[in-house]
Amino acid sequence: MHEIEELLKQLAQRIIDGKKDDAISLTNRLLELNYPPKKILDDGLLPGMDVVGVRFRDNIIFVPQVLISARAMKSSLAILEPLLSEAKIEGAGTVVIGTVKGDIHDIGKNIVAMMLRSNGFKVIDLGIDTSIEKFVDAIHRENPQIIGMSALLTTTMVYMKLVIERIKQDSLPVKVMIGGAPISRNFADQIGADAYAKNASEAVMVARELIGIKDRNLHE
Amino acid sequence: MKSKKRIETAMNLGTPDRVPVMCQLSTGHYFINSGISPIDIWFTSEGFAEALVRLQKNYKFDGILINLPGRDPDYKKYILNIEEKADEFVVKWKNGCFTIVPRNDNPHYYQPDGSRHFPSFDDLNPEKLFYVEPWDITEISYPYKWGFENEVRSFTDFFPPYHADTIKIVKEKTDGLISIHSEVFSPWSQFLELLNYENALMAIMDDPEKVKACLERLTLGAIELAKLHAKENVDAILISSAFAGAGLISREHYSEFVLPYEKRIIKEVHEEFNIPIYTHTCGSIGDRLDLMMETGTQGIDTLDPPPLGTVDLEEAKKTLTGKVFIKGNIDPVNTLLYGNKKQIEEDVLWRLKTGKTGGGYILSSACSIAPNTPPENIQLISELAEKYGAY
Repeated sequence: MHEIEELLKQLAQRIIDGKKDDAISLTNRLLELNYPPKKILDDGLLPGMDVVGVRFRDNIIFVPQVLISARAMKSSLAILEPLLSEAKIEGAGTVVIGTVKGDIHDIGKNIVAMMLRSNGFKVIDLGIDTSIEKFVDAIHRENPQIIGMSALLTTTMVYMKLVIERIKQDSLPVKVMIGGAPISRNFADQIGADAYAKNASEAVMVARELIGIKDRNLHE
Repeated sequence: MKSKKRIETAMNLGTPDRVPVMCQLSTGHYFINSGISPIDIWFTSEGFAEALVRLQKNYKFDGILINLPGRDPDYKKYILNIEEKADEFVVKWKNGCFTIVPRNDNPHYYQPDGSRHFPSFDDLNPEKLFYVEPWDITEISYPYKWGFENEVRSFTDFFPPYHADTIKIVKEKTDGLISIHSEVFSPWSQFLELLNYENALMAIMDDPEKVKACLERLTLGAIELAKLHAKENVDAILISSAFAGAGLISREHYSEFVLPYEKRIIKEVHEEFNIPIYTHTCGSIGDRLDLMMETGTQGIDTLDPPPLGTVDLEEAKKTLTGKVFIKGNIDPVNTLLYGNKKQIEEDVLWRLKTGKTGGGYILSSACSIAPNTPPENIQLISELAEKYGAY
């Protein structure tokens, strides 16, 4: 048991450090020891990503560090996901996410998508330059609880308002969460979004709140 | 005082007759408001030059930033057809790729399957890099080829002959009365555009030495281009360093991957030309104004205020006055796009009062003006500067 605890601790640290190859080795080693996939996720990967989220929120680390942590997380998840699926472990909810039309910047959106996936959400990523029609089609097709919209440019953030107007006009049953470098809470209120997240770790908490999941206590 | 002199005086940290006005407009704003077809603006030097001058006159700006390179005059020979739709044009190229040109936003070039191509970091050989132009009419290729050219140009003759055409036309149309600024991309921006941001940002963690070797090479191209612009007698050169703020990288990474390369551009251009060089960085730069000044830049552009960025103009004036000029700080979204006349007046008057103190201030939107910003809101900036901006 002591070995497993040590391996889980090391796995969390490798996620924090963004060491992809080490994270893969440790994940495989835990599986070899018959440690359940769900518990590898809950006891190793998620605690690591929680620390990353807190450090990012507090400006201790920046986007490059988050990206390599997310890459390490993704590599471990790729091993675990088929096993989790076999075990029919249900996700937290479904989020359709995209960078709005006119904007081809996907970095913030990708980090949010990765953090949501890391926290058990099913994420449908519509990519960049996403039109109203693409969002609406995805809502009908995927039946998500949440739509997430991102923009990096001051010139494209205004498109979010048009998407929200259409969602309201069609009475689509989704909550809208927005974010991106130039976005603020005031702007979210102004355009009628249900929620605003300042960064990726806040996006996870906000998404959980929007669908009524009690949040884990995030602290180092 | 003429516009050109007014801006020159501000860039030299002096006090002109009044605070000069010069905003950067988004491409979509030119498409919507210049009366010129988006196809002509995006694909021709003449079309973009005319759009720049028309809106400079409409908005009574004292300067023009030429932020697209001159275009290949023979671009039409690569077109298969152009499909005109209600809200966009689709330009289909003979090579199977296509460009979507919205009527109100930046055009983008796509592969036949609708994807965008980026080289991988592992594929890069720093020795094959010289300059990357994010606003070429095709995508960014590696090794870099201009537009639809088949061959990589020699680094001793890298920039095509049409590259300075827009500068030449704008200078001719404005008859030396307006301050004309050109744009060169920071090596850091070029690197991000080359690999796509996510891959580029991971590369600095994976192999920082190789990234630095790439940045060294991209610095050479930026120096060459800046010198070409200086030879065309532009009045200032802007280093576009959009993604070097705290929204993306730390101060430490800024010091490592941005500062030394921009510093070298400024130093080497200044060894040959006496021309103002200033820097445009978006978003949260309040924590690194000191580092930006270490590059030797003569001015800092945008200075996004909260909530878009983190720059309080009063604080920035304390740090920067007498050292570098300031251009910017009007919120382009919450004030210019969504604000009413009263809000715009309050916002602009506060910036005029705060910014003009001690000289060295150009009144401007913080980042680019959004496509659908009402023209009357922009006209109001110059009206207020004329009425209340006198020294």
